[in-house]
Amino acid sequence: MSVAAAATTMVPRQEHVETASKADRHRIRTAFAFLAPSLLGVILFLVIPIIFVIGLSLVQWNMLTPMKWVGLSNYVNIFEFDGFGHSLVVTAYYVILNIPIQTAFALGMAMLLRSKRAGTGVIRIIAVLPFLSTPVAMGVVWNWVFNPSTGLVNQFLAHLGIAGPAWLSNEATAMPVIAFANIWQYAGYNMLFFLAGLAAIPPTVYEAAALDGATKAQQFWRVTMPLLRPTMLFVLVTGVIGSFQVFDTVYVMTAGGPGNATEVASLNIYNTAFAGFRIGEASAMSVVLFLVILAITVVQFRYFNKRMTYEIA
Amino acid sequence: MTSATTAVPAAAATVQTTERTSRLTKGVRLTLFYLLLLIIALVFILPYLMSVFAAFKPLAAILSQSPLRPPAPLTLDNFKTIFTQYDFGRYLANTLLVTVILTAGQVTFSMMGAYAFARMEFPGRDSLFWLYLMTLMVPNIVTLVPLYVMFAHSHLLNTYWAIFLPYVLGVPYSVFLMRQYFMTIPKEVMEAARLDGCSEGRILWRIIVPISRPIIITATLLAFVFGWNNFMWPLIVTNSNSLNVLTVGIANFNSNFSVQWNLILAGALVALIPMVILFAIFQKHIVNSISLTGINR
Repeated sequence: MSVAAAATTMVPRQEHVETASKADRHRIRTAFAFLAPSLLGVILFLVIPIIFVIGLSLVQWNMLTPMKWVGLSNYVNIFEFDGFGHSLVVTAYYVILNIPIQTAFALGMAMLLRSKRAGTGVIRIIAVLPFLSTPVAMGVVWNWVFNPSTGLVNQFLAHLGIAGPAWLSNEATAMPVIAFANIWQYAGYNMLFFLAGLAAIPPTVYEAAALDGATKAQQFWRVTMPLLRPTMLFVLVTGVIGSFQVFDTVYVMTAGGPGNATEVASLNIYNTAFAGFRIGEASAMSVVLFLVILAITVVQFRYFNKRMTYEIA
Repeated sequence: MTSATTAVPAAAATVQTTERTSRLTKGVRLTLFYLLLLIIALVFILPYLMSVFAAFKPLAAILSQSPLRPPAPLTLDNFKTIFTQYDFGRYLANTLLVTVILTAGQVTFSMMGAYAFARMEFPGRDSLFWLYLMTLMVPNIVTLVPLYVMFAHSHLLNTYWAIFLPYVLGVPYSVFLMRQYFMTIPKEVMEAARLDGCSEGRILWRIIVPISRPIIITATLLAFVFGWNNFMWPLIVTNSNSLNVLTVGIANFNSNFSVQWNLILAGALVALIPMVILFAIFQKHIVNSISLTGINR
């Protein structure tokens, strides 16, 4: 009886399974059709180049004569002869000039503009505008603003009786000016993340802190900052990854000069590969830069994970 | 009893003085607040304002006047020069062409990929998504040299294709952003549509796209801004003037005519103004969009 019942139910189920698997196959095909373009893009333009760059870093090649296997010697030569160590130091200097001030400025603006007072909306919008502006075009504008004779900065300083330096051809001031240009460009963009982060902190937390007698400063350091850690991590990680690759503004504003005072890593890679056509050395530099960025990103995640104990949904 | 009666007016007096001082400090703080807002606004607007002024002045006026003085006899000569004697018209057209193709492709293909990851079942889905996430971390500069070699090998250097090809098939960041958004759409919506015999393409186009407008606008704006501002890649894959995009044109102009501020700044404005217009039209969207990209925190 039970066997018969099972047998009668078996038949339609099997049919069902068959049609389902046909539908499944169709669905899988459709899914891969949807995925195909972006997957092709990821494999062709990201996965293959990453593997390829490691291979290229082990050869000597000028794109004309045949490649020559040189093992790891490129990794030694870029530090010994191409000044890549100097480039990494210069890049780190740029990041150190750029990121803390940019982040503090973004957070400060967010704290200021989180209030609903009249006028804050307009300023929020104005502060984001630079994010869209073409860095190359802005670099040209900054060249003019910091021009020793015709620029606004030195004209203003002259009014105060100060003779301003030749900002971009002076070793001490060139990099700070480039950092300034990038702070100007991205501070408003980062401010938006802090505004979103601040908006996610419930007011009751502050009320409780105030009831406990916490001053405004204590509220900032003990309540706001810990609760902003996820935002801070996001802003710092994306900011550091971007800053380590700085190129456009440097290319237009100093081209690495004066001397090689602002020859950041990406500019060195560019010059080695596309002016010197030393593909192997440039690839080795790319790999090293990648490892540096990766290491710093991992350190940032570790640091923040250890301290991320608060969760507010 | 007596201590209590004397304590009351004393307390009232202190309340009054603290109220007065707090009102005074409130006034000071409000002034300080708006002073700060003014400074912030100036810092962000002045560079634009000065370049607009300069672009409409003859070189002599730029060299002799304060950058903050508006152009007295307004001249269009600078723009006339860069569009007729130099190729800025060409650069502008190239940039527009390449950016529109890049944006359209990137958004469409990323959206399709995002939909497959979010709401379709297929073997290997999770590992493929991991692959996307891992490539998300790869800095552009790292793939620059190998990509160049690949494009040279494929004889694609000095073509329009070279400029947009690496970004037109969809990028992991855009896939990721949209996937996260599509995940918030209830599964039942798509299941109901499938039962009604809707094809996946129709579901994506007719159901998902309309409810996902915010994230699609975000992806579109990010792609457009990236394409418009992109410099390093077009710089290395093109070396003929007729293929130059605005960024490359401005950089070359900057190194060749370093003292002609009137022309250089007019050229810079040709790149900056469309972005300002885009911003003016979409300002609310842009501000909301950027906040949306923070969802991966």
